Amino acid sequence: MRVSGNATLHAPVEKVYAALNDPAVLVRTIPGCERLERVGEDAYKLTVTAGVASVRGTYAGDVRIADQRPPNAFVLKASGAGAPGTVSADVSVQLAAGDDGTTELAYDADAVVGGMIGGVGQRMLVGVATRTADQFFAAVDDVLTGAAPAPEAVPAGAAAAGQPAVFTAPPRAPGLPGGQLAAGVVLGAAAALLGVLVGGWVTRRAARAAARRP
Amino acid sequence: MTTRMFGEPIARREDPRLVAGDGRFLDDLGAGALAAAFVRSPHAHARVVDVDAAAALDVDGLVAVYTYEDLDGRVAEPLPLLIPHPSLHAPRTAYPLANGVVRHVGEPVAMVVASDRYVAEDACDRIRVAYAPLPPVVGIDAAVRAEHAVHDDVPDNVAAHMVQEVGDARAAIAAAPQRLELHLQIERSASMPLEGKGVYARWDAADRSLRVYTSTQTSTSVRMALAAKLGVPVDRVEVVAPDVGGGFGVKIVHPWPEEVLVPWAAIRLGREVKWVEDRREHFVSSAHERGQRHTVRVGFDDDGRLLGLDVEFLHDNGAYTPYGIIVPIITSTQLLGPYKPGAYRVEFRSLYTNTVIVTPYRGAGRPQGVFAMERTMDAIAERLGRDRAEVREVNFIRPEEMPYDHGLIFQDGRPLVYDSGDYPASLAKLKKLVGWDELAAERAQARTEGRRVGIGLACYVEGTGVGPYEGAHVRVETNGKVVVATGLTTQGQGHETVFAQVAASELGVPVEDVAVVTGDTRRFKYAVGTFASRAAVMSGNAVALAARKVRAKALRIAGEALEVDPADLEVVDGIVRVRGVPDAEIPLATVAVLANPLRYAFDEEAKRATQFAVGGGTDVPPVRDGDEPGLEAAGWYSPIRSTFANGVHAAVVETDPETAEVKILRYCVVHDCGRLINPRIVEGQIHGGVAQGVGGALYERLVYDEHGQLLNASFMDFLMPYASEVPTVETDHLETPSPLNPLGIKGAGEAGVIPGAAVFAAAISDAEGLWIDRMPISPSELWELRRQTTPKGDG
Amino acid sequence: MNHDHVSEALHETRLVVNGVQHTVRVPARRLLADCLRHDLGLTGTHLGCEHGVCGACTVLVDGLPMRSCLLFAVTVDGAEITTTEGCRSADGGLGPVQRAFMECHGLQCGFCTPGFVTTVTAFIRDHPDPTEAEAREAIGGNLCRCTGYQNIVASVLRAAELVRAPEGETGP
Repeated sequence: MRVSGNATLHAPVEKVYAALNDPAVLVRTIPGCERLERVGEDAYKLTVTAGVASVRGTYAGDVRIADQRPPNAFVLKASGAGAPGTVSADVSVQLAAGDDGTTELAYDADAVVGGMIGGVGQRMLVGVATRTADQFFAAVDDVLTGAAPAPEAVPAGAAAAGQPAVFTAPPRAPGLPGGQLAAGVVLGAAAALLGVLVGGWVTRRAARAAARRP
Repeated sequence: MTTRMFGEPIARREDPRLVAGDGRFLDDLGAGALAAAFVRSPHAHARVVDVDAAAALDVDGLVAVYTYEDLDGRVAEPLPLLIPHPSLHAPRTAYPLANGVVRHVGEPVAMVVASDRYVAEDACDRIRVAYAPLPPVVGIDAAVRAEHAVHDDVPDNVAAHMVQEVGDARAAIAAAPQRLELHLQIERSASMPLEGKGVYARWDAADRSLRVYTSTQTSTSVRMALAAKLGVPVDRVEVVAPDVGGGFGVKIVHPWPEEVLVPWAAIRLGREVKWVEDRREHFVSSAHERGQRHTVRVGFDDDGRLLGLDVEFLHDNGAYTPYGIIVPIITSTQLLGPYKPGAYRVEFRSLYTNTVIVTPYRGAGRPQGVFAMERTMDAIAERLGRDRAEVREVNFIRPEEMPYDHGLIFQDGRPLVYDSGDYPASLAKLKKLVGWDELAAERAQARTEGRRVGIGLACYVEGTGVGPYEGAHVRVETNGKVVVATGLTTQGQGHETVFAQVAASELGVPVEDVAVVTGDTRRFKYAVGTFASRAAVMSGNAVALAARKVRAKALRIAGEALEVDPADLEVVDGIVRVRGVPDAEIPLATVAVLANPLRYAFDEEAKRATQFAVGGGTDVPPVRDGDEPGLEAAGWYSPIRSTFANGVHAAVVETDPETAEVKILRYCVVHDCGRLINPRIVEGQIHGGVAQGVGGALYERLVYDEHGQLLNASFMDFLMPYASEVPTVETDHLETPSPLNPLGIKGAGEAGVIPGAAVFAAAISDAEGLWIDRMPISPSELWELRRQTTPKGDG
Repeated sequence: MNHDHVSEALHETRLVVNGVQHTVRVPARRLLADCLRHDLGLTGTHLGCEHGVCGACTVLVDGLPMRSCLLFAVTVDGAEITTTEGCRSADGGLGPVQRAFMECHGLQCGFCTPGFVTTVTAFIRDHPDPTEAEAREAIGGNLCRCTGYQNIVASVLRAAELVRAPEGETGP
């Protein structure tokens, strides 16, 4: 499935590029992201919990940043799995200077969704993906403009270079910002956009168990 | 002492649960299921440009949103063409969700699945569909003019063109001493069962099996269609028709888009999914019928005998043709009624319009045909100044001419051959019942008092019991209870009762000991369905044949146990006994035990069938060659062709001189459907049919505006008769048994409605001295007709 | 950006249905019919049109026949409601109106029947000895597509008989 869109960020291109590659920023701006762990050069593992009423779950994902051409472009390769399904996506991100020191960002994602969440229909998948992308960029924008508190320059407990570093999200209100009630959940790819959406079905096992009762 | 059950008006076995509120209709099932709802087109004809579901995502409880792009495999293909026909040269069926184009208001565009129906509808309301409207084709005239096409590749809007003829009707008419031409029209109506459609699907992923409950008239056919569409092996699909709140034809169409999509979603989501339509959905997305326009040319002699009959008609089939051209074919053939037409030619064109599809509604094209024929008979009588009953009688096929071959092909693909019927006797009975000869005087008397009283008469013949077959399975359990299963379905016809009566009669057991299951593919897999007044004929006979096999086996086994000749045995009240020998008997329950040789006894009775208890030779195997364990058998009935019922109706009406309101003073029915399994149930069917005939004649029409909007898509504006509109029906019966099936029965389901439009048109014409050529007729239309026309109709 | 959170407040509503006290928490827009059918599991009451014309959804609210498809459950908080299930006899068998329908073949598919049973129950309570015309008038607001009403009229008259003489002295 294809998801694409745009966003305007209120900072110059170089700052935007840096923010999108900063795990401390990402862990607090990716909707539902609880934990981000660097496991290599430009490679991360992350845990995202998100969902709404009928669809909620925790997903474990891998993200790799590739084809980097700072400060204008990169490609994010992400994959993730949760109880209800799997996602893998290649997201290409382009940054261009806009008016008055802003940045015009364009993303284009090619995603494959498998498992049960693949069953909710294109409109939902694309719709929630787009919405989550919008939320993500708005959150990044808030960090860039200072509307949201900037993360510490060095994460607590940072290890020496070469050791994995773990970034945890600050405590936040339950549910997605602004999107408490959207159905479906997005498994975020770090650093730029998430093109993919995963619905979590915590209740699904219980429902299946119920269906099997005589 | 068992009363012979066949022919008894016993109370119905299904009633105790239905009257107490314990029925299990579709929406009573699936309490935990997700709910589906649909976004449907508000346009009669449009391209679907975009579907934007973004705003729906905020709805708490939304689970899925589907459009055509989500459909895969054969689900993405058009729905099946159920009945292909060589004359249906341009058939078209819909996609389950619109594939870029919508062709009638109500066509489904998107499907929503959510935690409950309220939430699902909330989500539907928030889905924004962008349409590019296209010019709609509405009504027969617009379809014929073909300025626009419903389907781009069918530019003349003609789906089918068919001609059937016997002899040279046009030449016969040209040469006839007398000629008439009539233009007649019946408007669109609909089945309108009180319960709409519904589907509830359960997918067991571990077992990879699908169970679907659907409010259908054919669970076995739905099963085959779903297996084919969803790519699930047939033996992993079960379809169950629960209690169904009426069908009247509309629920024979299958698979509905929703019938495919709900199970499809259940499989994709791994959850139970249920959809129940609301009344408005039923109006705009199920099916309609009746709309036709006829031109009849007839040539006759001075006695009113038909010499040639030439009928051309146009049939509005709506936007798609999933059910083929069965309705106009039935019109073409059943129009002939009980008459010999001389030479006959019938031609129809079936036309596309941007309206709801047209598929059978009780009567299925016969009301239109009977309307055409009976108005013609009335016109002939008027031209010749003769009694309307006499003119009909002159043209009757006589009983000694049976079987009568019309030389045409009927809706079952078989020759239109009337097997039996005594039309003169039916008419004589009706004349006596209504007092035909006296009524002329009464009418004259009423006129002197300034009252407008009229009487109308209409005859019909109905082909019933179409094939290909039905089957039934009968089993006597070891506790003596009898279990009967047949594959066709029930929507109120009392099948649990009538088939129990047949089985009880054939087996010799109390009817209370017989339980009947219909419409459940877990219990019986081979069937066609309930439609075309066929269930009693088809499954009734199949049950009888199965029960006869069981009885024969029971007598054989009992004969061995009692050491008597089976020919000396009878079964009474569930006991097999030797005729005339009081103590030589064995309960059927025990025979059932003995029918299954056992190694392990499971209860006291079963001990009798175990290897050390059973006597008999050790030189034969316990289950002999060609035999099977158990006291059970399947029976099949497959008819050589349809069997023809008939009837005559009369109505006495009074029209108000000022308001033109039509009051029904009397309604009489003489009905011949061969032997009756349960006379009370047959009579109930007639009453219900008459009510729909009253509705179709005086109240019911579906009104589309020029934009293809259905203006009266609710019960507030589509007027179905209440108790105040339906007269008390006086009935009398004739029984000319069918020679085509063992029980001698014919179908009864549609009889009550078939002559409705004809008989009321005749009665109102008679009361007013005006020519009525279209139905239904409302008081304001009658008033307007009075204003416009001269007393004598156009001949 | 802001998205509306679409969820509903629930209201505690007490209903005495067929003599049994229930407390439900339902949204304001929950139809009484849906509340009875789905929240209380009393599926005997049916929905034929949801716009108040067919009468299949008729229940008695404080003894008066009303269309449960036109009522919100919250608006009848505290009411005593009788559904077709509540028209059974005290020992759980068929009540007189139900029996009458069965005896007179006053139903075919059974979908409209619950609305008739409640309507007729109230009618006979108030008119113990109706004429045929009165019986026909009494059912004049309920649609039936199957029976043509003739046997339903007979059922009303038979029900009146059974209510008057519960041992079944009259009739076959």
